[in-house]
Amino acid sequence: MQIRLTVNGDKRELEVTPYTRLLDLLREDLGLTGVKEGCGKGECGACTVIMNGELVASCLVPAPQADQAEILTIEGLGTRDDLHPIQESFVEAGAVQCGFCIPGMVLAGKRLLDQNPSPTEKEVRYGLSGNICRCTGYAKIIDAVMLAADKLAVEGSDDNDRSE
Amino acid sequence: MIRKSPMKQESRQTISGADFEQYFQAQNLEKALEIKAEYQEQIEVAAGSTDLLVANYEKLHEIKNWLDLDKLDELRRIEVKDGQLHLGAMVTHLQLMRSDLVRNKFAVLAAAAEDVGSPQIRSRGTIGGNICTSSPAGDLLAPLLSYEAVFKLQSAAGERIVKAENFFTGPKRNLMEADELLTEIIIPLSENEREGAWIKVGRRKALVISTLTLAVVLEFEAEQIVKAGVAMGSVAPTPVRLGEVEAVMLGSKLSELDYKKLGQEVKARINPIDDLRGTKEYREDVAVDLMVRALNEIERKRG
Repeated sequence: MQIRLTVNGDKRELEVTPYTRLLDLLREDLGLTGVKEGCGKGECGACTVIMNGELVASCLVPAPQADQAEILTIEGLGTRDDLHPIQESFVEAGAVQCGFCIPGMVLAGKRLLDQNPSPTEKEVRYGLSGNICRCTGYAKIIDAVMLAADKLAVEGSDDNDRSE
Repeated sequence: MIRKSPMKQESRQTISGADFEQYFQAQNLEKALEIKAEYQEQIEVAAGSTDLLVANYEKLHEIKNWLDLDKLDELRRIEVKDGQLHLGAMVTHLQLMRSDLVRNKFAVLAAAAEDVGSPQIRSRGTIGGNICTSSPAGDLLAPLLSYEAVFKLQSAAGERIVKAENFFTGPKRNLMEADELLTEIIIPLSENEREGAWIKVGRRKALVISTLTLAVVLEFEAEQIVKAGVAMGSVAPTPVRLGEVEAVMLGSKLSELDYKKLGQEVKARINPIDDLRGTKEYREDVAVDLMVRALNEIERKRG
């Protein structure tokens, strides 16, 4: 079946089956491999993307349910040469170890800061609670999101997000 | 479609015309009920899909027929009609925890929604899905029992209203007929002062299937308890309402109650099992403490 959606600001029309997951569609059909498959059961958050402004586990979204949706993946946030302030903060805080959870963590941080620009540490922990880091580097990841909140407060609006 | 990954080929077959003929994304409820009537138990109903895709991990292609309710915006409403809260079955956990109406009038339900899964799950998972999955550990179920919610079940032939406490018949079983869909959850508002408590026990704070849940909702006239709802999850084959415990509290003031004794009453009326999340003994002992904690919390909130 045919679905239409917007991915990182680009309108896409794709042929999917009911058993294509949003994760498969992004990775395999669109080549957006920043979206990771960890557990495949919504427990780890590695496949997190932002769909219509909210976090979703893309491994638990049947592709037909992404019809008409607006999706933001890590590829839509910043580039290697032009990092999003949240990505910058992750680098500066030393929050990245193996890196597998990081796209999901950054997006969870982004959604949190979009909705709550100056979160407490507790709120950051709650905002990231659907994302597991098996390097167990949580402390620095939380530092990074707090740092990003400060940066965004200074820099003002989030104009690096191409999907908006 | 080109599959670049060599993994899981067996579970990701290429598209054929037949694949999507059997995926029904109903555009209105009437159509959805028609399809359900035709396919009965031969069709999988997809709401938020957070349970469905886990249950069918790596065998999604084996689902022959899908009825996807995602486009039914008419089932995503939260509204008050005739003194009752009406929740569409497709209302998500995130909607529940964000709704001022739900937070103010049904705080125990909002608190439970906030404890479901993770942000990623709450944005997709629905109240209707939580109910229809009918897990004894479903987080919204004890609060719904405590608030005396009723469920509207619709079919192409008609509709009926079923009390939440009669709906669940066993682990992952309920009394829905094969041609029915859950469309609405209806909860009475109350004139009285309501105060409640929600406690979820699990091994982690997020993404955990509850070891034990407790929802207590008390209604007061002056200081007297005039109505009580006490329900638990993960302590029996279904979520259970503890009517005998409620009866003990009626007519009393909070200050007249022996919390510890009520905790023992709770323990005496649940029937937990050993499983990987906890033993029967653990659950029984913790149930006592939860009841005490819940009553202390209500006392504190009432100041």
